[in-house]
Amino acid sequence: MNDYANPWGYRLQWMYLLLVVTTLMSPVFYVMYVSFNENGFGAAEYVFTLEWYGVIFTDKLMMNALGWTLSLAVVTTVVTVPFAVLAAKFYKTARSKVWVVFLLLSPLFVAADIFGAALLVYFKNLNHTLVWVGDWMDTGVMDGWFKLGFTTAWIGLIIYTIPYAFIVVLITMGRYKVQQTEAARACGATAWRAFWDIEFPQIRPGVMSACAFTVILCFNEYTRTSLLKGGFDTFTTVLVSQMLNEGMSEQSYAMSSFVSFLAIAAIGSIILWTLVRSEKLGAEARAKAAPVAS
Amino acid sequence: MILIDRLARGAFLLPLVFMLVFFALPIALTAVWSVFERTMFWMEPGFTLFAYENFFTSARLWNFLASMYHSLIAVVICLVLGFPIAVFVHRRVPQVAQHRVVLLFILPFMVSEIIRIFALRPVLQRNGLVNETLQYLGITSEPITSILFTPTGVIIGEVLSFLPFIVFSGFLAMEAVPKYIFEVCEDLGASTFRIYKDVILPLAAPGIFAGSVFIFVNGIGVALLPNILGGPGAVNAGLIATQAIVALDFPLAMAVSAIMMVTLFGLLYLGHRLFDLTTILEPAR
Repeated sequence: MNDYANPWGYRLQWMYLLLVVTTLMSPVFYVMYVSFNENGFGAAEYVFTLEWYGVIFTDKLMMNALGWTLSLAVVTTVVTVPFAVLAAKFYKTARSKVWVVFLLLSPLFVAADIFGAALLVYFKNLNHTLVWVGDWMDTGVMDGWFKLGFTTAWIGLIIYTIPYAFIVVLITMGRYKVQQTEAARACGATAWRAFWDIEFPQIRPGVMSACAFTVILCFNEYTRTSLLKGGFDTFTTVLVSQMLNEGMSEQSYAMSSFVSFLAIAAIGSIILWTLVRSEKLGAEARAKAAPVAS
Repeated sequence: MILIDRLARGAFLLPLVFMLVFFALPIALTAVWSVFERTMFWMEPGFTLFAYENFFTSARLWNFLASMYHSLIAVVICLVLGFPIAVFVHRRVPQVAQHRVVLLFILPFMVSEIIRIFALRPVLQRNGLVNETLQYLGITSEPITSILFTPTGVIIGEVLSFLPFIVFSGFLAMEAVPKYIFEVCEDLGASTFRIYKDVILPLAAPGIFAGSVFIFVNGIGVALLPNILGGPGAVNAGLIATQAIVALDFPLAMAVSAIMMVTLFGLLYLGHRLFDLTTILEPAR
């Protein structure tokens, strides 16, 4: 802000920004508020309780779904984040960037139901083809490769999360000066060593953020997973089926709030961590500069 | 050594190959499957335009057009509410804090879309948060019943679900706009409206366009929005596709998907020809 600008205009703009964030979050905050009410939604009297959260953790179906969701989130992160790093490195050196961007970011623009439907039919056809090839080769090894289940849900989630991880890693990589790699290579380091010892420490915050985003996105995803999962349930599919069958029960409010708390805690931790880290780096830089300054 | 080098180079192509096989190919094949013959539980190779005829000569077309109209309204509202935030963050927030402020808009986005949309029901319904607040403040004497289970509910859901994207894409686009431009314009006596209309909007056009396409396409494609907030009559392309899959009419589901893809890629191609959409990632290069 320049010295001649109206400070109230600046404050009003900040207030507007925070108002929009609060409005975007208000439905979630309201659900959290209701989840602690013993009498549930719309009751005249508000009595604080943690009972509904206790119910979630004693629900076997829910705990089973949580297990599946966590497994999916972990295996998706293991593939998505290295893919995002590889893709970002490829993008930086690619001659024709349009196609790389197009391929990696297009899933953002394709609605979940449309992509889920396309992938569902693709896997079913792929499965038919593999069974046919297996029959022709007199082997049944390939019969279940793309049967709807964990693997197909996993592939769907990788495609869903890659654009987000790619953008996060690419933005972090944008600040890295490639001359450092060139210098390391000139000193005799292998390509891997130059990446691991020089580049990776500098893009680590982006990689960590990409991991966190991927896990959260997997935890929250519903449409693609419900179409591609086959026989098992994830956290959101249980939640939605309960919501659709029984309406918003007190348990549904608690489940929704629980997932939201996890997501907010993860993002909050990332923001705090980057704040603390930048403070620490700043302090280190000031400490190094101090003898020179004096 | 040469082999290892080649393998290492090939590794960089892995994500692209994966996306080609499991994203581009299924999306492209929707056009092929949409002309297949429908069978009792599946479909078989053939050539028929029955699925398209089914779509274009029924109420589905009007529902699709209505969802496009509602999506357009959501795009305009998101632009009006969200883009000034991107400009403010770029212009007034110190450089070191800019990404953290933008991260604030990731916060609602990190909460499941399902939860956010479902959570709107108790907020918008007859005895929900909005009506209770309006009555408490004395603005209305009776609950407003025309919000939930109407197109208004769907538009509110779209705005609350997708607004962060216009902030993200707007912010990315604004990174390519030098800050001194604002000062130059002000020194030359241009009004705020004129600065936006003649300078900022043309410079940030790629980001605005990308964000708008995202909102528009998801508005007509996310089935949950009309399903949960729109009531019995509200339908969009995503809902038509999922309903077709439930009814085991796979060619119709694929025809709807193909129509959506043509709409999406047509818009992206147009946008790229007009604004060169890769410039959104320019600061990251």
